Amino acid sequence: MKMGQEDKAFFLLIRPKLLSLKNSIGTKVVLRRLPFIAIGVGFWFLFYIGTYKVLSYVRGIEFFGEILSRKLFSMTFFSLLGFLIISSIITSISSFYLSKDIPLLLSKPVEIRDILRLKTFEAFMNSSWMVLSFMPPVFIAYGISYGAPAGYYFLILGCFLLFSLITAGIGITIAHILTRLFPAKRTRNVLFGIGVFLFLSLYFLIKGLIPQDMSTPEGFISSIMSFKTESPMLPSYWITEAVFPILKKSGFSIFYPIILLSNALFFLLLSEIAGLRFYRVNMERVQPSGERIKRWILGGYYPEINTAMFYKDIKTFFRDTGQWSQVFIIGALIMIYVYNFKSIPINALSGFPFIKEIMVLVNLVLSGLVLSAVSARFIYASVSLEGQAFWIIRTSPVGMNRFIRSKFFYGFIPVTLLMLVLVFLTNLAMNAGGILMYLSLGTVLILCISVSGLGTGFGAIYPKFKYENIASVSMSLGGMAFMLIAFSVVIATLSLEAWIFYVYSLEDAMDLSAKIQIALGVIMIILINAIAFYLPMRIGKKKLQEQTGII
Amino acid sequence: MIILDNISKSFNATHAVKNISLTVSTGEIFGIVGPNGAGKTTTIRMMTGLLTPDKGKIIIGKYDIVNESIKAKSILGYVPDKAFLYEKLTAREFLIFISSIYRIPKSEALSRTDEMLELFGIKDIEDELIESFSQGMRQRLLFASALIHKPEVLLIDEPFMGLDPFGVRMLKGVIKDLSSKGVTIFLATHSLHIAEELCHRVGFINKGSIISIKTKEEIKGMEGGLEGLFLKMGSE
Repeated sequence: MKMGQEDKAFFLLIRPKLLSLKNSIGTKVVLRRLPFIAIGVGFWFLFYIGTYKVLSYVRGIEFFGEILSRKLFSMTFFSLLGFLIISSIITSISSFYLSKDIPLLLSKPVEIRDILRLKTFEAFMNSSWMVLSFMPPVFIAYGISYGAPAGYYFLILGCFLLFSLITAGIGITIAHILTRLFPAKRTRNVLFGIGVFLFLSLYFLIKGLIPQDMSTPEGFISSIMSFKTESPMLPSYWITEAVFPILKKSGFSIFYPIILLSNALFFLLLSEIAGLRFYRVNMERVQPSGERIKRWILGGYYPEINTAMFYKDIKTFFRDTGQWSQVFIIGALIMIYVYNFKSIPINALSGFPFIKEIMVLVNLVLSGLVLSAVSARFIYASVSLEGQAFWIIRTSPVGMNRFIRSKFFYGFIPVTLLMLVLVFLTNLAMNAGGILMYLSLGTVLILCISVSGLGTGFGAIYPKFKYENIASVSMSLGGMAFMLIAFSVVIATLSLEAWIFYVYSLEDAMDLSAKIQIALGVIMIILINAIAFYLPMRIGKKKLQEQTGII
Repeated sequence: MIILDNISKSFNATHAVKNISLTVSTGEIFGIVGPNGAGKTTTIRMMTGLLTPDKGKIIIGKYDIVNESIKAKSILGYVPDKAFLYEKLTAREFLIFISSIYRIPKSEALSRTDEMLELFGIKDIEDELIESFSQGMRQRLLFASALIHKPEVLLIDEPFMGLDPFGVRMLKGVIKDLSSKGVTIFLATHSLHIAEELCHRVGFINKGSIISIKTKEEIKGMEGGLEGLFLKMGSE
């Protein structure tokens, strides 16, 4: 096929996706989603304010301010590099090997090269759109803080796009090779291999990169400074070098943007070569092949109606690569998270008043963010997981109350266990025991209940029974809106708790006004969380009763 | 017994089903035929509780499908026209799951599961994931799941989709046997010869309305049989 024809074929293949997108965006839909868009914009604004404040504070630090600011910039891209590669590997496996349109595409007179290009585009969009849409507030905060010229904004967007394309190219190549290397009769083996590989790499990478002495302020600063994100071999270094001169108005060099561009092209080409080499063979290996499933240890267990759906969902989870592979992304993030808290030099900062309380609060805010993200991936998507088989539930004698309750527990139990362990470990790492430990665990438990209810309810209000892969459900507009609302519940709850703590610690002898403020705070916390738990599930139940499922 | 009492359903001001009234007696096999988009599937979906009629009432056994949906659904078996199932369960696990949500006691559920797997010829693939099943095997499993709780009323949308001749023969036997045991069967199909062979009565639906109902005997006496009647009705 000639070059012009190849390009044409790609656009021809992508046309149905674009048309589907166009057909799904009507005026009615936009109006209905307007509140969520407003929430997104509000969150963007808050994210900008937060980044700007932190940046102003960091830049104000004597001697080290400017270096730290640059360091934070390169560390952000260093973290994104890892995250985007992992995300790209996982989504590539879904897009290239598990998407429902693959059999149709392969049966048509279409060149493999064109299918690979289509899937590369899909994998790139699915793995990076969330990061691409959340990063602009950070870029703008840097731009405003440094008073950067307009050219900076164009440059950073262009460079970030190239940076994301590099990660997509690397992720896709690794996905093709790993699918080829591992015995792929069971795709989960492939992903298990990837998981172990990534965990070990991350562990040794972080262990090697961070020096261990962080017990004094000097040690802390020198540790941050010596965090080895500055290898000239890394894309995070190239993007920092490309953008920082124009940010500081100290000139512009085309060298690093060219390096980014050439690497983006190189890795995309590499991914295509790997695809051309392995895709056909890999596809044959991942076809369902009448694999016999060994009966479980619990094979004789017969669930009654209340646990039947829960039991079915758990089994399905462990057999569905699209679902449990996401555990790796979250696992990697959590590992980095716990490690970071272990590295905080609490002793070195002990001179500041309430430092332990503040750190516990920061930990809870960050845990809330993890809770919102994990819930979007697993709880919000749980109703949609029924997929096109939802008619089975709708035509069976199972009330929607029972169905929603089952979905709630399916998400609530693992997420709560995860969050309790996470907060317990991070508090231990900071030596925050006693009342602080009990308070944080209690808070997390309340938040898990309300956010799980919110997620189940939102998932029922906006179910997506027809999906290409389950990851796309949590990345839909409804999923994003849920995540933002969930995080708002977390922030509201923690702000009220902080306020209660503040009033409590200010007053030597509690007067009536203080008592009223504390009581009001407690009532507000209960009210916010109760509404978040109850209301969406109630609306969701009604909405599901109107759903036929897709049959 | 099934009673449809003056039911109607519209989608965006388009009438999918208009004022259908019908009674199907206990043990009767009632077939509904009509051109594509005539309203067959919408009628069946209302009978299963998947859609709510805009007007009218549907009684399954002695229960109203809207107001007493749980009771009505527990005596109902449904085989849809497309076999979407839980792909990551095995056939056996799927039947056990269905037994659980129909509250069948354990010992009975296990014996019924074995019985259904044998009856529909899927015993030897009972531990394979459904995702690897052919269309015909899925259809067999659908029937097994629709019958595992011994329904009093069976609704079938295109019963023989993807089945090989052995499967068709077996299934015809099963349907006749169920009818003789008092199960009320309502089936929508495009296979006229099968409707002619199986059904005690056949209704013709076009543009959302039932325009004619004929008994087996009446159809037999007509020139061109059911096909001739269908072509005549469909062109009107």
